[in-house]
Amino acid sequence: MGPKNFIVAIVLAIALATGIFAAVRFNTPAAPSSAFVLPAPTPLPEFSLIDQFGNAVTADTFKNHWSLVFFGFTHCPDICPATLQILAAARGELEAAGQVLLPRIVLVSVDPERDKPELMGKYVDYFGDDNLGVTGSLTELRKLTSGLGIYFEKQVGDANDYSVDHSAAVLLINPDGQFHALFSAPHSTENYVHDIPLIAADH
Amino acid sequence: MRYCFFCATLFLAACGTESRPPLAADDVVVTAPMPGLKMSAAYMSLTNHSDQTMRVSRVTSPHYESVELHETTMENGVARMRALPELKISAGATVTLQRGAKHLMLSRPSGVRETVTLQFFDGDDLVLAVDATLEPRNN
Repeated sequence: MGPKNFIVAIVLAIALATGIFAAVRFNTPAAPSSAFVLPAPTPLPEFSLIDQFGNAVTADTFKNHWSLVFFGFTHCPDICPATLQILAAARGELEAAGQVLLPRIVLVSVDPERDKPELMGKYVDYFGDDNLGVTGSLTELRKLTSGLGIYFEKQVGDANDYSVDHSAAVLLINPDGQFHALFSAPHSTENYVHDIPLIAADH
Repeated sequence: MRYCFFCATLFLAACGTESRPPLAADDVVVTAPMPGLKMSAAYMSLTNHSDQTMRVSRVTSPHYESVELHETTMENGVARMRALPELKISAGATVTLQRGAKHLMLSRPSGVRETVTLQFFDGDDLVLAVDATLEPRNN
């Protein structure tokens, strides 16, 4: 092999390696970019809360459709409406893109003291139809949140002017009623629009 | 005539050499209250055009029972909202009030309005008064 052929061989080898690398790199199936998908989805804990119509909400309520569950409270002027707006916008975009199994948006109140069903109804309706507002007793709420690793803590304040610290994550519940994936804050519409079809297709 | 000239001179002296206000607000957004609720948030950027550090310690409005400086923080995945004692704005600096960060919480509006006035104080000095149109949250 002459020096010229040797150079040609090297160039071809590099080209081949580049091609293989590119094929591997770019043909990898698209994966969720921001959601943390649980290796094994876990069933929801036993709990009994109520929705904005006064109907019972239990683990079974989450079966047969995807749900995006956010824990917040209505007397929260900043981050709660911003998060629900992002979820509503994502749902709208998924619907426009023809996604058949649209996730239902669920707000679980971490402030059941002030968040009565009627107020929850007005609040969640503001972000679109079919949204679920969940409230109830603190004891039952704790069963749900502690089972899902969701933190909340009422802060000291006036009778009507207190805040509640709460986990900012959004949980994706699958149609088997299992905690399937978690979206951490900061939230963005694009992340949900990108990840939900991939997660649903993989389920 | 001489009296008026004297007044004008006093006025100019009071304003200093610059005609713009010491504190300026841009991109002001005041959200409309959510259905059934009596609270809103206000967002804007505040620029200190003076040559001294400004400490906005109080914001008032004739249109709300209470206006508070707040900050939403995110730590270990937990969102918290806390009252801020003051907003410190260095000379020439801009502080941004935005979603998920520093903001104003406006509580218990007096009636339904389309525009509201916010007044910013450094100690007892009124450093800015701004009128804003309420913006629906889903805009």
